Amino acid sequence: MPESAILETRGVSKKFDGFVAVSGVSYRLSEGEAAGIIGPNGAGKTTFFNLLTGMFPPTEGTVLFRGEDITRCPAHERVGRGVIRTFQLVSVFDQLSVRENLVLSVVRPGDGRNRKRGFFFSDAARPEISDACGEALALVGLEGKASRATSSLSYGDKRKLEIALALSLRPAVLLLDEPFAGLSDAEIGEVLELVHRVKASFSLVIIEHKISRIVDLVSRLSVMHEGKLIAEGDPKKVIEEPLVRQVYWGRA
Amino acid sequence: MKIPWKKYDCLLIVAGFLLLLPFLKIQRTTDFIIFCVFVLSYDLLYGYMGRLSFGPMLFLGAGAYAVTLFSEHLSPNPFLALSFAVVAAAAVGALIGPIIVRTTGAAFALINLAFNQIGHFLVLIAFAKYTGGEDGMSAHFSKVGFFDVQDRTMIFVFSLFCLVLAFYLLKRLTSSPFGILLRTIKENETRARFLGYDTFLYKWGAFVISGGLAGFAGALSIMNYGYVTPSFIDPHRNVEVIFAVLIGGAGNLYGAIIGGVAYMVVSNYLATYIARWEMFLGIGLLLLVFRFRTGVWGAVTGLLASRRGEAETR
Ligand SMILES: Nc1ncnc2c1ncn2[C@@H]1O[C@H](COP(=O)(O)OP(=O)(O)O)[C@@H](O)[C@H]1O
Ligand SMILES: [Mg+2]
Repeated sequence: MPESAILETRGVSKKFDGFVAVSGVSYRLSEGEAAGIIGPNGAGKTTFFNLLTGMFPPTEGTVLFRGEDITRCPAHERVGRGVIRTFQLVSVFDQLSVRENLVLSVVRPGDGRNRKRGFFFSDAARPEISDACGEALALVGLEGKASRATSSLSYGDKRKLEIALALSLRPAVLLLDEPFAGLSDAEIGEVLELVHRVKASFSLVIIEHKISRIVDLVSRLSVMHEGKLIAEGDPKKVIEEPLVRQVYWGRA
Repeated sequence: MKIPWKKYDCLLIVAGFLLLLPFLKIQRTTDFIIFCVFVLSYDLLYGYMGRLSFGPMLFLGAGAYAVTLFSEHLSPNPFLALSFAVVAAAAVGALIGPIIVRTTGAAFALINLAFNQIGHFLVLIAFAKYTGGEDGMSAHFSKVGFFDVQDRTMIFVFSLFCLVLAFYLLKRLTSSPFGILLRTIKENETRARFLGYDTFLYKWGAFVISGGLAGFAGALSIMNYGYVTPSFIDPHRNVEVIFAVLIGGAGNLYGAIIGGVAYMVVSNYLATYIARWEMFLGIGLLLLVFRFRTGVWGAVTGLLASRRGEAETR
């Protein structure tokens, strides 16, 4: 193998009551690589992320992290290894304040930081934690809204908060599921700029609907259709392939 | 409203119960205090972790029977018996927790109820030889130094100390990262797992803590009353603590204490003025569930917040 893979799948499939959402996908992400996955709605992209991150086990196939089989590894352990994701529909905790959302990721278990910082009996609002949360928020420009109720944030700010959450978990590989969906053009610009700024420190897979947005961001693009990977390669070339054009625009 | 009263909340609790003394018999007041410990234990499970249980009486009962049996067979030392009761109730939680905490919603509520019914059956019938069955049994504690369980004032002071201790520990626990984790489990457990937490373990832990604390309340009750009967583990009484948490406002420790006292006042005194008071309680509960979801505490803080024109985060 040329470079080592951080994340790899071998023939993974997922069936829901006989419906095949992901079908025999073999995928490989190199260390430090930024890759994109596109495909029409219902192609199985999110389900594929679910298989990578341990939301549920695949019906068939294996998932490898740095060469190690993690197919049966529960989600929280994968997070411990640095497999971090965001969700297509923004998923943050509305019932917490913006700062509180970040507490659990800055005092992660298995970091050894946990014990030191007193997970069970010391104040989650004390300065060391609060400062760490503040830093994470500053990265996405939300430091001014730390004390706000999360439910009062705009959808775009919630997306930024979710990305801050993901970054503070210190990803080895970050999986972003349609991070621009539901955002205004201005917000898309901000999030894009943010991803560009931080992506050097980890491997990245980004699912996106609009190819144009990520062409400059990723070095490789995969196209999913009806659960299968139908094309892969240099973004600008992939989108010229007849099969891809047919799937995407209904014409070759 | 800039008085940092939360710093003195333990003192406020003490003061509050001392103020009740002129109006109530001391044993009754002690009963109120102990009930508040029970309500606190339930609030951790329901208010913070968001798991509604129909079986907390199991743990109250486990503590009540454990303290009595210990005092009869092993040692009459009240402190040893009390410690044993907490451990026993927590152990029950540790034993059945792995089955229970995997579930949510109605399944969680009903499995708890099922275990409560099993426990009730065990003390009432299966182990009646040891528990005294329907008649129950009395508990005898020895004096330890100046501490005498028979002394009503002593047990009042001791219970109040225990309530303040439980309150303080829970306050620390719920304002820690662990407390935040419980709240994330309540809101979206899957998301919490994707922050790297094995939520199963933490739910189990919270279940055990809640059970141990309920057992603590059960054991204190026996020290206050001097005897145990199956009513201490009766599944029909689960509704009391649920009402109390809803009245005060779930997910808030101050609310739990206000709710505990309010429920006790209502159930003890409304009954003497109004026939079929349970019906009014039922109507009250409907109002709470549909109109004042945040309970008394939430209504008060909400009102104050809107007066100040601020958005409160909680
Ligand atoms: N948990 C599930 N249960 C049943 N069907 C599912 C589930 N998740 C996804 N699907 C189905 O799998 C297909 C692929 O969905 P998804 O992976 O969300 O597609 P994409 O993200 O590419 O739009 C869809 O037809 C969807 O209805
Ligand atoms: Mg999707």
